[in-house]
Amino acid sequence: MVPLSLSQTGDTVVVRAIQGTGHLAIILGQLGMIIGIKLTVVEKGKESVIVRIGESRYALGAGAASMVLVEFQV
Amino acid sequence: MLLEPVQPVWFSLNFKYDDCMKEIRILLAGNPNVGKTTLFNSLCGVHQHTGNYPGVTVEIKEGKREAHDHSIIISDLPGTYSLSAFTPDEQVARDALLTSDPDVIVQIVDATNIERNLFFTTQLLEIGIPLVIALNMCDLADEQGITIDDKCLGKNLNIPVVRVVAKKGEGIQKLVDTIIEAAETTTKPDHRKIEYPHLVTTHIDEIGNYLSSHASLLKTLSPHYAAIRLLEGDEHLLTMLHEKGLDIPFIDKGDPAERDGITEDILLARYRAAEKVTTCSVMCTMGRVMPADLIDQVLTHRIFGIPIFLSCMWFAFQLTFSASNPFLVGIEYVWGYFTKIINGIGMDPLIRSFLSDGVIGGVGSVLVFVPSIFVMFIILSILEDSGYLARAAFVMDRFMHSIGLHGRSFIPFLIGFGCNVPAIMATRTLQSRADRFITIITIPFMSCAARLPVYVLFAGVFFGAAAGNVIFFLYVLGILVAIVSALIFRRVVFKDEPSPFIMELPPYRMPGGFTAVLHMWYKGREYLKRAGIVIFGGVLVVWALATLPAGVEYGSAESLAGIIGQAVEPLFAPLGFNWQLVVGLIFGFIAKEVVVGSLGTLYGGEDMLESSLAADPTISPAIALAYMVFVLLYMPCVAALGVIRQEMGNWKWTAIAIGWGILMAYLFAFILLHVGSLFIGA
Repeated sequence: MVPLSLSQTGDTVVVRAIQGTGHLAIILGQLGMIIGIKLTVVEKGKESVIVRIGESRYALGAGAASMVLVEFQV
Repeated sequence: MLLEPVQPVWFSLNFKYDDCMKEIRILLAGNPNVGKTTLFNSLCGVHQHTGNYPGVTVEIKEGKREAHDHSIIISDLPGTYSLSAFTPDEQVARDALLTSDPDVIVQIVDATNIERNLFFTTQLLEIGIPLVIALNMCDLADEQGITIDDKCLGKNLNIPVVRVVAKKGEGIQKLVDTIIEAAETTTKPDHRKIEYPHLVTTHIDEIGNYLSSHASLLKTLSPHYAAIRLLEGDEHLLTMLHEKGLDIPFIDKGDPAERDGITEDILLARYRAAEKVTTCSVMCTMGRVMPADLIDQVLTHRIFGIPIFLSCMWFAFQLTFSASNPFLVGIEYVWGYFTKIINGIGMDPLIRSFLSDGVIGGVGSVLVFVPSIFVMFIILSILEDSGYLARAAFVMDRFMHSIGLHGRSFIPFLIGFGCNVPAIMATRTLQSRADRFITIITIPFMSCAARLPVYVLFAGVFFGAAAGNVIFFLYVLGILVAIVSALIFRRVVFKDEPSPFIMELPPYRMPGGFTAVLHMWYKGREYLKRAGIVIFGGVLVVWALATLPAGVEYGSAESLAGIIGQAVEPLFAPLGFNWQLVVGLIFGFIAKEVVVGSLGTLYGGEDMLESSLAADPTISPAIALAYMVFVLLYMPCVAALGVIRQEMGNWKWTAIAIGWGILMAYLFAFILLHVGSLFIGA
């Protein structure tokens, strides 16, 4: 498991855990970013990412991206 | 991170009805970017206005439509992904859905992205109010090869589903009929139930049973539903029940880790239900191509992203000024013609002074900027509707973060160049109070369209060919002061980090011409209204002060305006402003355009203004520069101030915002006066 902020453009990853306290898990959850969901990394900035889940695209800043732990899909 | 308590939103009673018409109140809910506002416009046409609610004033648009002896009152709620409200605008939507007890809730679902939208549906189903789904953008879904069996979808959820294309007005009549039918049904709606795991239902029952003995506290919510809301982590409801002295089983006494587990189980159960319904009613017949992925890779590229964004902005500014030029020439011609007519007819000198100095001089100098403002609003609306604005926020996030702001704050800043008032309201999409306060304090440094007339006047008179560069410098200075202020406030006052940046990037769409024009018209109309009432009123007051007491020479130092200006002038002596300029600043508080309006009045009319300013020996180019800087920074206009007070929720922070602005204005005007004197002559 690695933080989403370490992925690369074009990667397909599966969400394994969402770290941290507060509302992050609920905020991501209502957008469909739940444990077990598959994400495609559309664009990777320095540490921020744009991911696609089905038809939706979400931008995550460096802070949020480092809280989402993912596993690479081969 | 708890938001301040917000009063429930109630329907306003601003429409008058015939007695024979039956009234139906509906709420339009849905995720952001599903075409809610477009559907609202199709439903209501011109019968709409923006509601102004007591307690918390939030832009809930309200409109009406009449059909089959029914009068349907429609409220358009802010877009939200779920009933878990984290930002003030989401909270408004949540409160309206849970407490205003409408006859029907209409959820607008994006046909190209059904599954994600259905998550919210699973929450709306349980409220127990008749729900109708408007399946929007069916044409786009067809193009993308998505086949939706709307009957199957409706049957699975046990709610009516109507296909619409809001942009083209298709399916609207059917939607209206369905809404009326749903409202007329007297039996309790029997929506599909979400299947929760056994453990979850046990807790729902436990809490539900406890709440049934306090049912009166829940108002319209059923105890069962309230139990689900509490388990989903609804802090507003929990706070409300705690305030009533309730001690809720499991929620208050249980193990927090176990409670989080239940919250997640509910989330998963909702997704499972959404997925199940989607699988049996939606079919993709074509291999999906994702051109948007490619566009995103270019527009948000880590190296090219920022240059692309800056070119867009440069282009937008060029367009604002060049596209409005022909209109400007036209307006100036008409106004000049009026002046000639007035000067040509014999009339009482007082009335002539009123018409030429007050009306034409004051209001005219402001009205010539209306075209630029219309063009600016249409550009902003196109940027927003096309989906680029969200990408720009992403591109700017790292930079914004480095100055202690949230990437999302960038959108209010951009809107601020048009007008600070909607910009300050747009901060409602920010989650944390600290992010919101810092953004609100710094927005007034974004040079709004109303300040432009002041720059054009002074830069044109005192800097000639360099006027364009001077104006550009002022915009940049405003941004720099905003950055410095944000850094200071983040370091000194709000020491926590900006909250994490998470934002949906809406699909790229061709901006609808009609929607963009309508949007421009509403925004531009607000400006015209202000030009007509506030600015006109302000200019009249200045004219009266310049004329009274009877017998003094118009606009002279002996007039009331002169007396007031001279009394305050010493305060501005270090900046070198004469009393006419000071009067302009005082009345500029009403609206920044009034600065030009009152100077137009004091210096004897629009056509005379430029030559009189140039001839005034007390104003040097350096002083003119300092004056423009002061106008840029000193104080938000009264309308912006009202919104700041409303969004901050207290006078203390409002006062800090004003004080900070005046401090910055004085400081930078002083520095530029002295630095400027070295180069451009005192």
